[in-house]
Amino acid sequence: MNLHKLSSRLCPTVTQKFRHLQIQSRGQQLEAVGVETESTEQNPLSVFRTSEQDPTYHSERHTGQYYTLPAAHIQKLFPHGLPPRFQLQIKTFNEGCVMVRPPALELISYLKKADYSKPPLRYILYGDVGTGKTMCLSHALHYCYTQGWLIVHIPDAHLWVKNCKELLPSSSRPSRFDQPIQASQWLKNFKITNERFLSKIKTTQQYVWTKRERTEKGQPLGELVDQGVNRMKSSSDVVGAVLRELRLQAGGATEGEGAFKLAVAVDGVNALWGKTSLKKEDRTMCEPEELTLIHNLRKMMINNWAPVMICCVCCIDLLKGLNIFAHFLFLPLILFMSSVFQEGFDNMEPFVPVSVSNYNEKEFESCYLYYLDRNWLQHSHSRSEEGKKELIFLSNKNPSILERLCAFL
Amino acid sequence: MAASVRHLLKPWTPSLCLVRWSRYNPYYLDPDPSKDARVPESELSPEEKELQELKTVSPIKAALSSDTSSAFNDPLISKFINMMMQDGNKILARGIMTQTLETIKRKQVEKYHKSPAAKREEIECNPYTVFHQALENCKPIIGLASVQKGGKSYQVPVPLTDNRRRFLAMKWLITECRDNKHRRTHMYEKLSQELLAAFANEGNVVKRKHDLHKMAEANRAYAHYRWW
Repeated sequence: MNLHKLSSRLCPTVTQKFRHLQIQSRGQQLEAVGVETESTEQNPLSVFRTSEQDPTYHSERHTGQYYTLPAAHIQKLFPHGLPPRFQLQIKTFNEGCVMVRPPALELISYLKKADYSKPPLRYILYGDVGTGKTMCLSHALHYCYTQGWLIVHIPDAHLWVKNCKELLPSSSRPSRFDQPIQASQWLKNFKITNERFLSKIKTTQQYVWTKRERTEKGQPLGELVDQGVNRMKSSSDVVGAVLRELRLQAGGATEGEGAFKLAVAVDGVNALWGKTSLKKEDRTMCEPEELTLIHNLRKMMINNWAPVMICCVCCIDLLKGLNIFAHFLFLPLILFMSSVFQEGFDNMEPFVPVSVSNYNEKEFESCYLYYLDRNWLQHSHSRSEEGKKELIFLSNKNPSILERLCAFL
Repeated sequence: MAASVRHLLKPWTPSLCLVRWSRYNPYYLDPDPSKDARVPESELSPEEKELQELKTVSPIKAALSSDTSSAFNDPLISKFINMMMQDGNKILARGIMTQTLETIKRKQVEKYHKSPAAKREEIECNPYTVFHQALENCKPIIGLASVQKGGKSYQVPVPLTDNRRRFLAMKWLITECRDNKHRRTHMYEKLSQELLAAFANEGNVVKRKHDLHKMAEANRAYAHYRWW
C-alpha cells in the first residue's frame, strides 16, 4: 500500500514490469523504504532512487535522487564522454546511475525555454575540482539525446592541447598543425553518437583533399566522416569541414527531413585559449591558434550563427597543480582572465554561468545510501553513524573525494 | 672568523629529538589510540582493574604519526604498508595499498552483482576480511632453522612465534609480487590477484607455505637437535 503511494508520487507512468523487477532485486531495501514512506514528506533523505528515467521530466522534487542511464544510451551517447572513474563504476555496479542535481536541472530548464530563433546561447559550468561539472554536462547531454538533437561532444579539450604524439604540418594551410590521431578518434565517436543524422545531412560545397580524393557537393555527411576516419592525414581538416557544415545547416530547414537541433558541448573549454604543451620542430611552443582542431572549435564557439545550444564546462587546469583553495579562484572570470586567458573571456563574453558546488546534506545522504545499496561501503565502521561523520569530515562532501574514499573503505 | 670558530666549538645537540628510536624503559606502555567506550568499573575483573590503574599512572611511549584514533585504522594493514615501503616513501606504499583494496573490492562486487541471488551469500566483498583471511592462509605453522652439529648444518623443524609467522607471510606475498610476475603490471594488480588467490587457498604463496611444511615434515628426524 505504501509502495503504491511512493511510486505513484514519483512517476505515474512506471510500468508493472519495472516495479516487479525493482521489488525482486532489492526486496529488503524497498521494505525499509516502504516503512518510511509515511514519513517521506518529513524525511526526504531516505529515498535515493527515482523511477523517472527520462531527463525531460526531472524536476526539483527529484534533486538528490539517482536515475539510471539505459545501457544502450550509454553505448551510443558516451563512447568517450564519461569520466574514467565513472566508467569503472558503471562496470562494477553493472548499471550507470547519475544523481539529479540543481545545476543540471537549471541547464535543462534553460534548454527547454531557450528561444531558438535567436543566436545561440552559451552556458558555462564552473566550479571547484571534483564537484561534478562533467556529470552535470552528461545529464544535460542525455536530455538532448532523448529529444533527438545532434550532439557535438568534445570530452576533454585538454587532451587535444597536450601530450600529442603526432603533430603534422597541415596539408591545407602552411602555418597550421594537424593532430591526426585525436581527430580520427573523435570522428569515430561522433559517428557512433549521431548515426541517424549522417545520411540526412548533405554537404553544401565541394571539398578537395588530395589530387585524387574529393568530396562532391550534395554528398551525405556520413561520407565526409568516413573520409576522415579512413584517411588519417586529412582527418583534422575533415573535422573542420564537418563543423562548418553543421554550423551552416543547423537551423536551416525548419521542418521536414533536414531539421535538427545542434548541441555543442566542450569539456574543459579553457584549454582553447590557454597554452599548449606541444612544441614545433624548431623547439618553440605551439600556440593554440596554430592547431587546426582548436581553430575550428573556436569558430564553433562564436555566437553569430544559427540558433543552437552551446554548453561548455570550465575546469581548473593550471590551478589544479597549485594548492590554493581560495574560493574566488574558481570563478569563470578569473579562469579566463588569468595570464593568457583574456582573449578567451572576450570570445565567450555573453554567457550564462552555472555554478556547481559540493554536495549538500540531502545529496550526500543520497550518495551514501546508494553506495550502501550497491554493497560498496564494506568497512563495518563506515556503516555506522560515526563512520558517516568521519566521511563527511574527510571529504568535505566533495563528490570525487568521497568516491575515492569509499573506494577502499 | 671568530664567530664561525665559536660555532664549531659549541656542543652539538640535534634540533629534532628522535624519541621513538631511543631505547624506552621497559615500564613504558604502548599507546592505545582507540576510542573504545569505557567499560564501567563493576564489569572489570580485578586484573583488568589493575591494568586500568597502571595506565593512569605509568608513562606511555610516543605515538607513531601513522596511527589514527579512527576505527578505520588497522594495525595489520599499517604493518603491511611499512613492509612494502621502499626508501621511506610511505605515501607511495599507502597509495598502493589503497589501490589494492579498491581492486579487490571492485572484482568481488562485480562478481556479486553479476551472480544470481543464490550465490551472492558466498561472495566476500569486504577487502579487509579478504586481506586478513588471505594472510592467515599464508602463515606457516612450523618453520626451519639451521643448526650446526658435528661439523654439518642441518635444517631442523622449529616452532615459530606469531610475529615471525606474520612477518614471513607478508614477506612472501611482497617478494612473490615483485619478482615472479609480469614486469608491466602494476603492483596493486599483482597484489590483488595474489591476495584473492590466497583467500581461496591457491596461488604461489600458499604453495610456498605448503613446501615449507613438507620440508619440515621430511626433516622430522632432526627435531631433537633443537635445544630451545
